[in-house]
Amino acid sequence: MNAWIIAIVTVIVAPFIGGFLAGIDRRITARLQGRFGPPILQPFYDFFKLLGKSKIAASRLQLMWIYAYLVLMITALLFLVLRLDILLMMFILGFAGVCFALGGFSSRSPYSHLGANRELMQMLAYEPVLLFLALGVYAQNGSFLISQIYASPTPLISRLWPIFIALLVILTIKLRKSPFDLSTSHHAHQELVKGIMTEYSGPYYALIELTEWYEIVLVLGIVSLFVANPLWVGIIIALAAYVLELFVDNITARMTVGWMVRFVWSVGVTLCILNLIWFWVFAAFKGVS
Amino acid sequence: MLPYNWMMAVAILLPVVAAVLVYIIRQYHVRGVIVILAAIALIVNSILFLLHGKDTFSPANAQMWNMVVTVLDYLILLFYIYVGISLKNWLVLIFALTQIIPLAWLEFGMGGSAALANVNPTFVVDHLAIVMTLVISIVGSLICVFAIRYMYDHEHHQHLEKSRQSRFLFWLVLFLGAMNGLVFANNLIYLYFFWELTTLICFQLIAHDLTKEAIGNAARALWMNSIGGTALIIAMIILFAKDVPMSLNGILSGGVASAVLLLPVALMCFTAMIKAAQLPFQSWLLGAMVAPTPVSALLHSSTMVKAGVYLVLRLAPAFAGTRLSVMIALVGAFTFMAASGLAISQTTGKRVLAYSTIANLGLIIACAGINTPLAITAAILLIIFHAVSKGLMFLCAGTIEHVIWSREIEDMEGLAAKAPMITTITAIGMLSMFLPPFGMLLGKWMALESASVIPLAAWLFVIASAAGIVFWAKWLGRLLQVLPKLGSKIESLSLSYTVPLWLLVLGIFGVGIGVASVYTGLVQNAVADVISSGQALAVQGWGLTVNGVSAVSSTANFAVGNYPVWPLFIVFAIAVLIPFIFVAIKPGELRPVYMCGEQAGGTDTDEWYSTADVKTKVQLGGYYFQGVLGEAALNPWTYTLSIVLMVIMFAVALLAIGGAL
Repeated sequence: MNAWIIAIVTVIVAPFIGGFLAGIDRRITARLQGRFGPPILQPFYDFFKLLGKSKIAASRLQLMWIYAYLVLMITALLFLVLRLDILLMMFILGFAGVCFALGGFSSRSPYSHLGANRELMQMLAYEPVLLFLALGVYAQNGSFLISQIYASPTPLISRLWPIFIALLVILTIKLRKSPFDLSTSHHAHQELVKGIMTEYSGPYYALIELTEWYEIVLVLGIVSLFVANPLWVGIIIALAAYVLELFVDNITARMTVGWMVRFVWSVGVTLCILNLIWFWVFAAFKGVS
Repeated sequence: MLPYNWMMAVAILLPVVAAVLVYIIRQYHVRGVIVILAAIALIVNSILFLLHGKDTFSPANAQMWNMVVTVLDYLILLFYIYVGISLKNWLVLIFALTQIIPLAWLEFGMGGSAALANVNPTFVVDHLAIVMTLVISIVGSLICVFAIRYMYDHEHHQHLEKSRQSRFLFWLVLFLGAMNGLVFANNLIYLYFFWELTTLICFQLIAHDLTKEAIGNAARALWMNSIGGTALIIAMIILFAKDVPMSLNGILSGGVASAVLLLPVALMCFTAMIKAAQLPFQSWLLGAMVAPTPVSALLHSSTMVKAGVYLVLRLAPAFAGTRLSVMIALVGAFTFMAASGLAISQTTGKRVLAYSTIANLGLIIACAGINTPLAITAAILLIIFHAVSKGLMFLCAGTIEHVIWSREIEDMEGLAAKAPMITTITAIGMLSMFLPPFGMLLGKWMALESASVIPLAAWLFVIASAAGIVFWAKWLGRLLQVLPKLGSKIESLSLSYTVPLWLLVLGIFGVGIGVASVYTGLVQNAVADVISSGQALAVQGWGLTVNGVSAVSSTANFAVGNYPVWPLFIVFAIAVLIPFIFVAIKPGELRPVYMCGEQAGGTDTDEWYSTADVKTKVQLGGYYFQGVLGEAALNPWTYTLSIVLMVIMFAVALLAIGGAL
């Protein structure tokens, strides 16, 4: 029964946290750009305003896929809070991303088509790092269960810090921040319009906003796993990582898709593999002695 | 219940009889009824095998059957020589000679035929063979039913003067019998015979359309698989020279093979890898797509390539714990990665499917190389799930081809509006190939969770997995690009198309939702028959739990991973199926897409005012990255690395012998 309560509380509370963080994002970004910025609660005002707009769409299929995007994102988050299998959680997160991309493909819009293709390239870049992270968790704990991360007295970051750095790199992609805000951006860009989100408006766009809030909580939750004991340290690290991303967003310019894939694969994937090699060698030595 | 010898006869000889009948009877409807009846008989028979359980069988007139097999062996090889000479294809000729000469030497020169005749039992039907015969009989039969109408339309489109459908169905139905024989065979000469028979049928089916390309590709499939046949004969010669009983049981009886036996085991795995189109031998399977689609469906899902992974799995205990095992895992994992990467650059639907098959076979072979109970479980589950999903995918590709008369992904743009039913089925098939909650992902998940013993294999899995998302999603994306309009008409298709398609969709959900029952009722026993130690997977509540020893708490039976099967299917229903049915939209809510205010017309057009106010149609295209990921760019690397891996694989087998001496 306990699991049900945790699940229900998560589904209700997570969007508030995510929306609040999005509000802080807008405020800090504004300050960095020498503006005053909107109220912290502005994302919520926007959300309810969007809900009141008239429903319009470019095809039925795109709506179907964004519902799937929302449901799967919530499912991935539930995997985290219910402390289930981290590898499977990554696959579900991948499914959510695929649904979002398919939503972008589901109309004959050049902008959303471009954005959807870029979204897939982003997945090609970040998916290996997320899966390597799961392998790293196994290498350290001998289990893929998130509950074991909480049970372990050794924090993940002590031995998985290279993977942690790789995670920070792909956090930029997942939060759609510069230099990797390629498929869609929080800032207006002429050649992209709103990218993969171009064809959504009104209540349907509100649905995507809601999903993004869940996603913020989820990815920061993954960051916090690196210091799961005590959890408050992990949460502080996650929030610090979030603020760091805001700074990165404001001091970098958007790069090309090809550059992103090359960068993440050469830096992120290499860090992950080196980290895992270290575990392997370590295990080999332990086996010998 | 049917007597056991009758069940064996139905499994192996009934397809032969049915094949001869469809060859003789040239009426479309009668022929169709025969195929359907044979299909039903095979399906029922395979279920009888499941109910009967593990058993062995030797035919009553062993001598006569041995004679038949020997004569047919030489007839097949003589036919290869004939093919080689008549096509002036020297590779076919050379590799036919490298088979027939050593085989004759083994049987008559060394006196191996007596040893081969003494093998008892001739057939061993254990649980792995039962899994295989279920896959072959059920998926294979559905494909044969699909072929009845498909070949009719195919020839109608070709405007042939004389129908060749009888010939096609003859080989197609015969294939099922050959495969059943192959997975049951224990006697190596029977194994070799059925192995060559599948190669022969494959050649005949690929060459079916008799175009220059078809014949060339068929010849390539023939000579490549003949290399495999040669390796199998050499393995038999070594086994005979070492006084090992000439049967699979004989090789496997001693557990891990002694160092001297590692070489024949490596040779047999090599044979199997060629049949499973592992790199660098992938080109025969890629070439096979020139054949009519039911051939591809059969080759890729339930027959031919599955014979390859079957043999590697069967031999897994013989190389467990050796360096050969590590190399087999790496060859498979490398193929998984390279084929997944190459699939991104493919513009033809069937070629994407072919690369995806090669990739997934690589994954299965890698699992056999990882060689833990969990990995073997993953491999057997993958064989089942892949057969169902890939069978469906090829039948979809065939149906789409007969709707739009093209195989190019770019021509499938907006198929969701033209043919909503086949698009829906195709979408289900694609999602089932790489996403949760479906079985293929379950298998991949288990493979990754078991791969920690060979870290390099796990890393290759990760990269392959990321590439897989891209090539499936971008293809599916092309099907969905529709204009904003409502109420597309559902296309009408022949029952011979729709019945197998929907049955396979049902199968995907059936084996997916019921994976716990599939595991306990079928796969668990098969794993125990392959590798008898330990049980890695437990059914717990609504899901599957992977057990192991924890590094943290060091207690036995500690959960390593957990896969909640039913909750994930419920999530899938809420996320995808319910919106698919219930998301409604009113005509007034539709708007044309955003084109910077330059649309030319309403929602029913995709034209816009281009320069000088000329009306221009929007053109969208997929990304293929030919420059970076194309065959021309990657193949030099993939060929080099895969050949190096194969050489090292043989080197470790030879080094083991050196070490033993």
